Amino acid sequence: MKNKLSIKHRILQEILKRLKNIGLFLKRIWSHKQGKIGLTVVTLLVLIAIFAPWIAPFDPYDVSDRTLKGLPPSTTHLLGTTLNTGQDIFSMLIYGTRISLIVGVTSGICIALVGSILGVMAGYIGGAVDSLIMRIVDIMLVIPTLPLVIVLTNVFGRDYWIIILIFVALGWTGLSRTIRSLVLVLKNSNYVKAAELAGASRWHIMIRHILPGTSHLLIMSTALSSAGIMVAEAGLSFLGLGDPTAISWGKMLADAQGGGALLFGAWWWIIAPGVGIFLAVFSFMRIGIVMEEILNPRMKQSSGVYKIFKNLNSAYVEDVFNSMDDNQKIGITAATESKRKGKEETDGTGIET
Amino acid sequence: MKKSYVIKRILYSVFVFAVVITLNFFIPRIGVEDPAERYYPPQGNMSEIEYEIIKQATREQYGFDVSPWQQYLNYLEGLTHGDLGMSFRSGSPAVADLIIDRLPWTLVLSVSTMLIGLIIGIMFGVIAAMKRGRWQDTVLLNASTIMIALPSFFIALILSFYLGFEYEIFPAYTDPNMVSNFEWTFASLRNVAQNAALPVLSMAVGSIIGYAQGTRNAVIAVTNEDFILTAKAKGLKQNTIRYKHILRNSMLPIVTSLGMSISGLIGGQVVIEQIFNWNGMGTLFLEANNMNDYPLMMGIMLLLSGFTILAILVTDLIYVLLDPRVTVGDKR
Amino acid sequence: MEQVLKLRNLKVIFPSHGGIIRAVEGVDLDIHQGESVALVGESGCGKSVTSQSVMRLIESPPAITRLDTLEFNGKDIKNYTHKQMQDIRGKEMSMIFQDAMTSLNPVMTCGKQIDEMYIRHKGVSKKEAREYTIEALKLVGMPEPRSRAKNFPHELSGGMRQRVLLAMAFACLPKLIIADEPTTALDVTIQAQVLNVLRNMQKKHDMSLLLITHDLSVVSNIADIVYVMYSGKIVEKASVEDIFHEPYHPYTRGLIASVPKLSDTEKEFSQIPGTVPHPMKKPNGCYFHPRCQHATKQCKKAMPPLISVGKNHEVRCHHPLKDMKKEGKA
Repeated sequence: MKNKLSIKHRILQEILKRLKNIGLFLKRIWSHKQGKIGLTVVTLLVLIAIFAPWIAPFDPYDVSDRTLKGLPPSTTHLLGTTLNTGQDIFSMLIYGTRISLIVGVTSGICIALVGSILGVMAGYIGGAVDSLIMRIVDIMLVIPTLPLVIVLTNVFGRDYWIIILIFVALGWTGLSRTIRSLVLVLKNSNYVKAAELAGASRWHIMIRHILPGTSHLLIMSTALSSAGIMVAEAGLSFLGLGDPTAISWGKMLADAQGGGALLFGAWWWIIAPGVGIFLAVFSFMRIGIVMEEILNPRMKQSSGVYKIFKNLNSAYVEDVFNSMDDNQKIGITAATESKRKGKEETDGTGIET
Repeated sequence: MKKSYVIKRILYSVFVFAVVITLNFFIPRIGVEDPAERYYPPQGNMSEIEYEIIKQATREQYGFDVSPWQQYLNYLEGLTHGDLGMSFRSGSPAVADLIIDRLPWTLVLSVSTMLIGLIIGIMFGVIAAMKRGRWQDTVLLNASTIMIALPSFFIALILSFYLGFEYEIFPAYTDPNMVSNFEWTFASLRNVAQNAALPVLSMAVGSIIGYAQGTRNAVIAVTNEDFILTAKAKGLKQNTIRYKHILRNSMLPIVTSLGMSISGLIGGQVVIEQIFNWNGMGTLFLEANNMNDYPLMMGIMLLLSGFTILAILVTDLIYVLLDPRVTVGDKR
Repeated sequence: MEQVLKLRNLKVIFPSHGGIIRAVEGVDLDIHQGESVALVGESGCGKSVTSQSVMRLIESPPAITRLDTLEFNGKDIKNYTHKQMQDIRGKEMSMIFQDAMTSLNPVMTCGKQIDEMYIRHKGVSKKEAREYTIEALKLVGMPEPRSRAKNFPHELSGGMRQRVLLAMAFACLPKLIIADEPTTALDVTIQAQVLNVLRNMQKKHDMSLLLITHDLSVVSNIADIVYVMYSGKIVEKASVEDIFHEPYHPYTRGLIASVPKLSDTEKEFSQIPGTVPHPMKKPNGCYFHPRCQHATKQCKKAMPPLISVGKNHEVRCHHPLKDMKKEGKA
């Protein structure tokens, strides 16, 4: 009984620890300006997707009122209506968030899972497993993705969960390759070797010791592949090959093109879904790129230094130089410390990327 | 040592191509019990017996009357002399002929996109890296932040809306007679160039930004290397350092990314061709998809994959020429 | 003796996200013709930045440099333009870097990289340059110099790569050679070979040498004058005999004591407690005081000036240690 309780306790502790880690992590992303933009927009999009029926002022599927055809943006129809069916574009845009996010994020997460598991297997088990997985990666690399997706939807159908499956089946390769090379490094690290010597099982080592070492990479990959898949999904629906029952941004664009938006100058019909795709892809990409910077800070320094130089307080620099002289050393503490603080505060807001 | 790497690399490409051919043959057949039914879906006004007769005729015509394994061998045999099978279109034209008709038109788009992307992209990238932190760099960074999130088909729609319909600078739809009336005359070539302008532009924007960003990062990474400090300490002139030491080293990652980007370029082009009604392989592929014409789909996929394999092989070999360090398995 | 290098009051800072990194805080350096000067200190104490500043290789951004005097070979090069500096670098002063693997261009043959020196500074043709190169490689003891010149850096061993760097640095027989930890990345046996080449070449051509190192055993073999640097400041300057026999600064004493000797009977290695202060958060007063056994209130308050304690012997300490034997091991 006591044992059970302690297990429960431990699981709870573990979960709390993970949650805290995620919290710290989000805070870290938040501390970059780019990350702030990304997180804000993503949160907004998620809220819109969840509360779509409450936010949308009209039924996006409603094609009954023929007098509403082709209205330009106004206070009632914020983004106007479609030329051929008179649907409210703002409401369609709101509903379109759902399919884009569901397909993008679900595929992104699944890709992170599949890619990391296969990558860890390839790297850690090695041998035949490794060569098999890497051969598959090489082969998938040479088959053009969008045409293959089209073939597969032709064969398997166009439900959006099938589309997600297809994206996952095709999307894991890049990540698994990266994870594999990371694992090869970790495998030779002392703490993994120590665990091996202590008799830990292969799976245990993979899950407890190796996967956590790749967590940053996974979040980056999830964000970036979600963004990539949103573009791909939009492209697919644009070609009329997405889920035929759902309202999606790609399909809206295709309808706009087919419905004569270009010809009759209905710019709102093109711009609206385009902005939707842009915002979604942009925000996920920002998060991915901030992650990349956290992982690989060298890239970031390159332009950051120049910004620091632009915002440098020359009086403070002068003080620093003067404080280095032997006879003035004693005076530095009180006088310049306050200036330094003030400077650092402006730094905090003025310098990023 | 290098020679053996090259031979291994080529053999490996052949192996990959063989696997791709096989996959390509079997994937469209998944879940299809009778290919003849695909070719000729059941019709309401037809009796069972009539339908069966038609299906049997189809099977014989397309060689579906033997086992899948035998079909595969026949397909391979056909490939050796360039026979990609027969299309399901009316008149059963050879897939190879259909593809060859469209291939040059697709190449016009992809090659010009690639060239424009590479040349302008590398130029911008080098400029941004050299002017790091100044406005040139900031413009590139901001442009790439935004452009990277804009799918090429949306750019295409916008360009076609403004440059095509609003201001009528370039044709928004490809001239349907462009292909049939084509001659090797200046007027005809100009017509092609005008029609290709918007599709190429819509794809090139992303390409330029991508290569520029890649070049910039590569150049900056190399500039921070120790051997550049050595070159400076040697008293070499700025231009010697730039061209002999920095640029050559920063071309290495670009060459690699070039091979990788080809597959994406092909995918994007399918959508762009569709938007501008360009008579290339992309539109051919979509037509084939709509008609369930899978011999044709297979043929196109095979060609596209073959292309990508070749491109990756070539860029890998160029890489070997550029980087003396490469030996087997050393690259990625 | 003619003075080759006169550096006064060099200060270098690196502004960064968290604040300003104070790399070098007012360093003076004098090097005379034919003299070997060692600049000793732990990693991060600013010795590499100092040496690169002498060649004016530190760029702004990322750094901001201030100095009062920089005279080289009788010329005031403080305000030289980039172009003027390019003519001096490699020709009149040259540098040998620590890691030959990363300091050589990986996609250029070693020979070509040395050729560049002759082509640039002697204006000879490529062919002539190669002959010079082979001669130079011979002088630094490279086996089969003609074929080695055609090798790429990754095809050579660490010792050979270092010889390539030596040949490159000696190519134009400069007045001053700056060697930044030239042997740190090498095996001990190879280290000795490379150091011998370095010293022989220097003595033969009466060059001056600025040796940057953290390795005191190297110093005792090569240097005439030793500067000890700690956290961006020179803490002691003396002849090599004085440094080893009469060190006045507790830090110098600690450094010497931490070199393992055969005669050591104690089981434990002698060490200096604590670590080098972070270049953004240096302590008040003497930078060494948190690690110093002899620190007093005064040390916590004020940075001591560099005071003269003997002939050509200066130390930056409020309480210079007088006699090593009396104090026992530091």
